[in-house]
Amino acid sequence: MSEQHHHIVPVKTLITIGAILVFLTILTVFFGYLHLPSPYNAIVAIGIAIIKSSLVVMFFMNLYWEHRRFNIMVFLAGLVFLSIFIGLTMLDTMYRSHIVPGF
Amino acid sequence: MSQVNVATENKSFVQHHFVDAEQQFDTAKLGMWIFLVTEILFFGGLFCAYVVFRSWYPQTFMAASGHLDKILGGADTVDLICSSVTMALAIHYIQVGKEKLTFILLGITFLFGAAFIGSHLYEWLDEMSVGIYPGSAYAFKGISDPHAYVFFTLYYLMTGLHGIHVLVGMGLMAWLMVKTKRGRFSSEYYTPIEITGLYWHFVDLIWIFLLPLLYLVD
Amino acid sequence: MDSTETKNKIKLKVRHFPLDENPPSHYANNKKGIKSWLLTRDHKRIGIMYLCTITLVFLFAGIMALLIRLSLWNPANHIVAAKTYDILFTLHGTMMIFLFLVPGVPTTLGNFFLPMMIGAKDVAFPRLNLASYYIYVAGAIFTIFAIINGGVDTGWTFYTPYSIHSTTNVLPMTIGIFIIGFSSILTGLNFIVTMHKLRAPGLSWGKLPLFTWSIYATSIIQVLATPVLAITVSLLIMERVLHIGIFNPALGGDPILYQHFFWFYSHPAVYIMIVPGFGIISELIGTFSKKRVFGYWFIAISSLAIAFLGFLVWGHHMFVSGQSALASTVFSLITFLIGIPTGIKIFNWLATMYKGSITLKTPMLYALSFIFLFTIGGITGIMLGALSVDVHLHATYYVVAHFHYVMFGGMLIAFIGGLHYWWPKMTGKMYSETMGRISWFLVFVGFNVTFFPQFILGAKGMPRRYYNYLPQFETLHRTSTVGSWILGLGFLLMAVYLIHSLVKGKKAPSNPWNARTLEWMTSSPPIGENFNYTPVVTHGPYDFHRPVSEFLLGLAGSDGHGGNGDLHPEGGTPVTVEESNN
Repeated sequence: MSEQHHHIVPVKTLITIGAILVFLTILTVFFGYLHLPSPYNAIVAIGIAIIKSSLVVMFFMNLYWEHRRFNIMVFLAGLVFLSIFIGLTMLDTMYRSHIVPGF
Repeated sequence: MSQVNVATENKSFVQHHFVDAEQQFDTAKLGMWIFLVTEILFFGGLFCAYVVFRSWYPQTFMAASGHLDKILGGADTVDLICSSVTMALAIHYIQVGKEKLTFILLGITFLFGAAFIGSHLYEWLDEMSVGIYPGSAYAFKGISDPHAYVFFTLYYLMTGLHGIHVLVGMGLMAWLMVKTKRGRFSSEYYTPIEITGLYWHFVDLIWIFLLPLLYLVD
Repeated sequence: MDSTETKNKIKLKVRHFPLDENPPSHYANNKKGIKSWLLTRDHKRIGIMYLCTITLVFLFAGIMALLIRLSLWNPANHIVAAKTYDILFTLHGTMMIFLFLVPGVPTTLGNFFLPMMIGAKDVAFPRLNLASYYIYVAGAIFTIFAIINGGVDTGWTFYTPYSIHSTTNVLPMTIGIFIIGFSSILTGLNFIVTMHKLRAPGLSWGKLPLFTWSIYATSIIQVLATPVLAITVSLLIMERVLHIGIFNPALGGDPILYQHFFWFYSHPAVYIMIVPGFGIISELIGTFSKKRVFGYWFIAISSLAIAFLGFLVWGHHMFVSGQSALASTVFSLITFLIGIPTGIKIFNWLATMYKGSITLKTPMLYALSFIFLFTIGGITGIMLGALSVDVHLHATYYVVAHFHYVMFGGMLIAFIGGLHYWWPKMTGKMYSETMGRISWFLVFVGFNVTFFPQFILGAKGMPRRYYNYLPQFETLHRTSTVGSWILGLGFLLMAVYLIHSLVKGKKAPSNPWNARTLEWMTSSPPIGENFNYTPVVTHGPYDFHRPVSEFLLGLAGSDGHGGNGDLHPEGGTPVTVEESNN
């Protein structure tokens, strides 16, 4: 039957991942109060966000057990193109001699 | 002359152009993953605007972000994480044939979503009451940086767009609850719940990034 | 249930399914009544509905073009007011790009033929397909409203800050574009999933017709680029309504950022427009040279390469906008790279024709025109991509000529060629070959007379979007206008003989061009289910040396008699076949 091909995530796994995510949230807010010097505040905050989002993508959205490698590639492709968008735009915005005249 | 491919399973939910339920399920999942990629690019525009303006005016962003309530932001994040857990549990239970638990868990997910929306409305109204509006309507005197409105414009745009997606998700939850109650889903066929789950987790994913970008800049 | 996905070839019992040239009913008459069309899930009917709609759009936008050229007859224009002229070119551009070219081939020929070419019964999500059509119509209605209410005068690019405070109907127009964007995204999504999931047994990626490869590459671009258009247009709407200040310099926003957002979509959009055309040309050149398309994998992969590289070059529209010199340099460099995969295609098509057995039917005339006209358009594009040259040619008629050569001389010519190629299959009727050739001649000559002078105008400094001009440009402008009349005549003739064929045309056989791709292995027009068996593919799409009968293989028992048991292999799994007797 169909469900033999669909991985069923155990309840314990889901609750555990949820708990880790809550802990990481508390951690990142805590770091927010520490007012780390820039750029470390951004690195820590985004770094924790990346860990949290990886957990969500792998264990809630099942990419960890996904046997269709194409779905994984699809998701990564989205991230790659977003990086291209932001990256090449910043190649302009970071290197202008005059940012926004009159501001 | 039969129009039916003999290999098509005789299941009422399998559509005519699919060979079997497995192919239909896989197809639906691939479709949802591609849709989520479009959402990445859609939100991505706002992320790009954010990155550009923050790189130009880092001090402005720090000053303005300090005005937002970190605890509230953290609580919103925990709320959405819990809703993701209940959503994943709802899928777990339909996979093992426990439709009643699925119904309850979908309902709890809905309530978590509602709490999130409520919390945001509260936050928005709170800000507007002191004159923090997007764009040219900004009238708050409490932050010394005169360009703080740029940050708040992005704040309203990003949380607003995200909130719309949460509302849509809640609508989908309600629809799923109705269909679950009517017995439309089983361990054999629960595709709409699976792909709505993917959508809901994605909405959580966006918020996981909005938290540090909006609330934890300083 | 046993999944039959294995790495090895699996053996299938197949048999020959004779082609029924005249089935009792086909897709267009198997269900009757207007509701059966409006609520259809049949990809073929949806394709026809799209075709009718975009033809109307083309007619309207084409009339705008004739009016533009007419108003440029005199240097000191007294035919239309300046603002009217702005509205004319805005409407012409917006409708041609967003409502005609972008949906263009994928929604019409793609919708009709993609499932057939892969041996499927429909696309992956038929109801979503119908929804895409209605979303398109809804967006078009907003656009029409904007037009009736007095139009828009910002240019199709809607650059800020003018688009923020223009008093014309920017709001309904941008809402319309936002809605149409969804239609494009959902169509692209549908096609990607269809190609991954619904291919017939034996149809590996290496046996797919090149038209399907081009639809695949186009769909990837649609899915990745269009959401950015959606957010751009949403932010523009927010700017006008809520004055949020992201793009408005008066409020501290950056108008160049708007251009980044806009062109991140709009450059890939030009590849959405042209790549399906490349696919059509591959089919036409192959069939009418009776020769396997040269360099199959080079053409297939080059479509993907163009799709990818197309996302890296948007800044070449912004060389003189105030963008940083570093960004401009990088964008210019990458722009040159895009010429490579495109050039590969051109050479492969020429190599296909070499020592082929060429028949100059109407579709082939258009295919040959494409190679000539698109090469001119493409090379002038590379010239514009050179930073130093673009500084002088930006916003002149040189740019206008360039993009008309690629969009019209390339894409539209390919579309018309494809339309003529597949017309017998879609309608079951043959058009008059003589009229086809006369019309082609008028279109080809008219096009060059209209647009070649514009290269010269641009190089001499005539700016674009100007409603009047210096007297020294008069001859070139008038030549261009006369060319537009020849074009108009050509299209009028085309409409006449195509409609005539519907009423009085000869009945078309299943395979009038003796091609080998799967859509020709059914009746003309096809039955509702496309095939009443599961096709099994054992040969490539351009194996002209194989008899047609070898392309009519299907799973034994897939029509309900006899059987392969539960065997239903994953689409595309390599198969070996065993002829069965039942």
